[in-house]
Amino acid sequence: MNQRLKDMKQRVREGAHRQFRQAALYDVLSECELECLSWPRRIARLVRRQCEAEQVVIEPDERIVFTRTVPGVPPVVSDMEWAQITAGRTLHELGPVSNICADWGLLVRQGLLGRKQVALETRRKLADDPESVEFIDCAIETIESVIGLANRYAEAAHRSGRQDIVDILQQVPANPAHSFHEALQSLRLCHAVVWLGGNYHVGLGRFDQYMWPFLSADLQSGQLTLESAEELLAEFFISLNKDSDLYPGVQQGDNGQSLTLGGVTPQGESAVNELTRMVLRVSRDLGMIDPKINLRISPQTDLDLLVLATELTREGLGFPQYSNDDVVISALVSHGYDLEDARDYVVAACWEFIIPGRGMEVVNIGAVSFPAAVDQAIRPGLEAGESLGEIQGRVSENIKEQVNQLAGAYETLLLPPAPYYSLFMHGCLEIGRDLSQGLKYNNLGIHGAGASNAADALAAVKQFIFDEGSLSAGELHSALDANFEGYGSLRHMLVEDGSKVGNNQDLADSMLVRLFDDFANACNEYGRTARNGILRPGTGSAMYYIWLTSGQEGMREPVVGATAEGRRKGEPLAANLSPTLGVKLRGPISLLQSFSKIDYQRIFNGGPITMELSDTVFRNSESIRKTAMLVRIFAQLGCQQLQLNSLNLETLLDAQKHPENHKNLIVRVWGWSGYFCELAPEFQQQIILRHYYQ
Amino acid sequence: MTSGIVFDIKEFSIHDGPGIRTTVFLKGCPLACQWCHNPEGQSTQPQLIRSPAGERISGRIVTAQELASLLNQQAEILMANEGGITFSGGEPLLQADFVVEVIDLLKDVHICLDTSGFGRVEHFTRLASRSDLVYFDLKLIDPRAHQHYTGCDNELILKNLRMLGNMGKPFVVRVPLVPGITDTDANLEAVANTVQGMVGLLRIDLLPYNPAAGSKYASAGMVFTPEYDETQPVNLNTAVFEQAGIRVSVA
Repeated sequence: MNQRLKDMKQRVREGAHRQFRQAALYDVLSECELECLSWPRRIARLVRRQCEAEQVVIEPDERIVFTRTVPGVPPVVSDMEWAQITAGRTLHELGPVSNICADWGLLVRQGLLGRKQVALETRRKLADDPESVEFIDCAIETIESVIGLANRYAEAAHRSGRQDIVDILQQVPANPAHSFHEALQSLRLCHAVVWLGGNYHVGLGRFDQYMWPFLSADLQSGQLTLESAEELLAEFFISLNKDSDLYPGVQQGDNGQSLTLGGVTPQGESAVNELTRMVLRVSRDLGMIDPKINLRISPQTDLDLLVLATELTREGLGFPQYSNDDVVISALVSHGYDLEDARDYVVAACWEFIIPGRGMEVVNIGAVSFPAAVDQAIRPGLEAGESLGEIQGRVSENIKEQVNQLAGAYETLLLPPAPYYSLFMHGCLEIGRDLSQGLKYNNLGIHGAGASNAADALAAVKQFIFDEGSLSAGELHSALDANFEGYGSLRHMLVEDGSKVGNNQDLADSMLVRLFDDFANACNEYGRTARNGILRPGTGSAMYYIWLTSGQEGMREPVVGATAEGRRKGEPLAANLSPTLGVKLRGPISLLQSFSKIDYQRIFNGGPITMELSDTVFRNSESIRKTAMLVRIFAQLGCQQLQLNSLNLETLLDAQKHPENHKNLIVRVWGWSGYFCELAPEFQQQIILRHYYQ
Repeated sequence: MTSGIVFDIKEFSIHDGPGIRTTVFLKGCPLACQWCHNPEGQSTQPQLIRSPAGERISGRIVTAQELASLLNQQAEILMANEGGITFSGGEPLLQADFVVEVIDLLKDVHICLDTSGFGRVEHFTRLASRSDLVYFDLKLIDPRAHQHYTGCDNELILKNLRMLGNMGKPFVVRVPLVPGITDTDANLEAVANTVQGMVGLLRIDLLPYNPAAGSKYASAGMVFTPEYDETQPVNLNTAVFEQAGIRVSVA
C-alpha cells in the first residue's frame, strides 16, 4: 500500500469524512402527504431527495468519488399511516428490503440509461396497466436522481480542475463502463444510493465475475498494470468503510457488505481469475472490515489459492469465509433452483446462499432454538418416565412447533417497495414489477441455533440416565432447576465426561444429525409459503447465541435457562456450527468430521463451521500451507461452509482492559467482522470463551 | 493386547512432520532435560495437573486397538493431505511394544517417529523400520555434558543414530538450541561431524529455545531449575552445517 492509500485509510478510520455530514435530514414526508403520493412514489421521491440533498465532497487525493453527507434516512410515511399500512402484517427486521443481492453486472454493462431503455420499452408495452406504469415511472425517477447526483459531482470536479473525474462521471453511471476505473466508480455511487434509500445489508455479489471483463481488457490494452489496478481496487474498498456507523445492524460492523469470489461460472467452468486473487491480496494488505469476503471452493481448488486466502485469514479479519460448491450447488438445485442460477450463487450478508439479481428471499426470518426444543422435551419427558425415543419425539414436535410459529408469522410479511433496487434485478423492469412483489426465487430461511449445546444435552441424557444409569431423572431435574448451584460435581460430570459434538463421537454427533433432520422435516412439512416459496433450514446462529439465553425485546424465539449439557442459565451458546463452549476437544480434524455428518443437501440455508486458530499457527509459510490444507479438508469431507478465525487470547483480554491501545483490533463476531472495542461486552466475552486451537 | 499410556493426542500438529498430522504423545521419558517444556511427559504414571483452569489427570491408559481405532478414523484425511501420524512423547521407545502394535493396526498411513534416540537398539530398529520418517533429537555430543543436562548418558543415543544412518531411512536431526549449553559452536560442530555423510539425513532442524519452557512445571508439581540464562539469545550458527554440506533450517 502506498502512502496515498495509507493516508486515505487513516482518514476513514479516524472518521475525518464525518465532518461533511449534515446536521439534519431533509423533510420528504410533508411533500409526500401534500401531494398524496402512493407508497412506491414516496420511495422514489425519497431516493430523489436524498440524492439532491447530498453535498459534493471531492478529496484532492480521491480518484473514486462519493462521500455520504446525508446522515440518515427520513421517513416518507407518518406514524399513523405506518400503523395502517402495517396493521396485521409482519415486518422483517426494520422493514425495508435488506440482505439480498443485486446483479451489479446489469449496472456496469448497461449503465443506468441502458436500464432506462428497458424500462421505457416495458412502459410502452404495458401502458394500460397503471400499477406497472407507476412502478416504471418510479424506477425512472430514481435513475434520473442518481444521474443528477453524478452530474453535480462532475460539475464540482470541473470547477476544481479534476478533469480525470469529470471524464469518468460523464460516462458512468449513466452509460456502460468502458474501464475498470469507470466500473468501480459506477458501482461505488449506485451501491451507496441503495443505502441512502433505506435498504440495508447491501451485498456486492460476484465481484470477480462482473468486474473481470473490464479489468482484463485494461490489463491487455496496457491501460492498467496489476499495480495500478490494485491501487484502484484498494481505494474502492476503503470507500466502502466510510459509513459503517450509519448502517443499521445489531452491532456496528454488521452491515452485510459482502462479496463472493471464485467458484464456477453458470456454465460450470472454473470462475477463478486474476481479480479473484487481486481481491484477496488487496484485502489482506488493507486490513479493513469491509468488504467481507467469501470464497467459493471445492475439493479440487488449487492449493495456491487457498494459501493466498489463508494469508488473508492470518490478518485476523475473520474472512474469507469458505463455501463448498460441491455441496451448495446440488442442494440449491434439489430445492428448485435452476442449475445455472445455483452455479451463480453468492453469500448474503452473513452466510446464506442466494442468487444475485434473482432472489427476493428473506433468508433469516428467525432461529429455531434447539436448546429450548430439547429442554422442553427432556424435562417433561423424564418426569413422565418416557423412553429416550419418546423424548426425541417431543424434540421433533417442539422443533416443528417453532418452525411453524416462525414461518406462520411471515405469512403476512410486508415488504416496502424498492423501485431503485429493482433496477438491478432480473425481471423487474422487464415486466413492470417491483422486486418487493417477488423475483424468481422467494424462499424464506430459518436458522437453527445452539445445535451443539442441544445435541450434547441429549447425549448426556442418553449416556448418564439411560445407558449408564449414573444419573437419575430427578437429580438432573433438580440440578437444572437450581441452575447447578450445589450440583458442582454433577455439572462437572456432564461437562467433562459427556460425549460432545466436535469430537467425532457417534453418540453426540448422531443427536446433532437427528436435530437437523427434524428441522429439515419440519421445514419440508410446512409446504409452500404465502410468497410461493419454501422454507430453507440453515445452521447460523447470528446474535441468537446470546439472545436465546438472555432474552431480547420483540424476539419471537423462546428463551432457555440452564441446560443438561452443563450450561448455566444466561451463559452463551455456541456460535453457528461450533462445539459447546468450554468442552474438551480433540482437534480441528475431529471437529470437521463431526459437522460433516449433517445432511447439507437438506440443511442448505448456510451457516458456517466456526473455528478459531491461535495466531501462532500462521507463523511461517509452511504452517500457512498446512492451514490451507485444513481448508481443503473441510471441502474434502463434504462440509458446507467454514469460518476460520485467527486470534490471540492475550490480545483480546488486554483490549478489554485497555481499549485505547487496540482500536484497530478486528474480530469475527458471527457472520461479519467488526472492531473488537466497538462491541458490547457480552459479545466480546463470547469470543473470549471460544475454544481456539494452538 | 498391549496397553500404553498417552498424555495427549494433538490433531493438526503443524510442527511434527510433513503435511497434516496427528501426534500421539506417549507418557514417560528416561531423559530429564533441564529445558524440557513438556514435563508431564517424563513420568510413566498418570499424574495430577493443577492449573487455574481446574484439575485434570494427565496420562490415559489405552489399548493398542483403542488407539489405532481412534487414529484410523482420520487416516484417509491425513494421507490425502501429505501427512500422517507422528509418535512423540515423552519417549516412544519406552513403550516400543505398544507403539509397534499400534502401527501394525493402523491403515497404510505415513508414520513419523519423534524420538530422543534413548532406548534399546532392538526397540529403536523395530520402531524406525516401521516409520516412514524419523525425527531424531540430538542435544549434546559430549557425554559428560549430556549426562549432566539430561540425566542420561548419550552412548545409546549415538549408537542408535549410527544405526539409523546405516538404515537408509529418511530422517531429520533436530537440535534444541539452549543458550550456552547446546548452542555452542563446539557442540554444533560436533553434531555436524557426527551426522556428516549419513545416508538418509534430510536436514538438520535447529529449534531455538522456547522461553515458555518452564511454564508447565508448577502445575505438574515439579520444579524448573535451569542452570543457564534463559534470556540469553541463542547462537544460530547455521554456517557450521552449511560448510559441511548439510541442509539446515531453523524451526
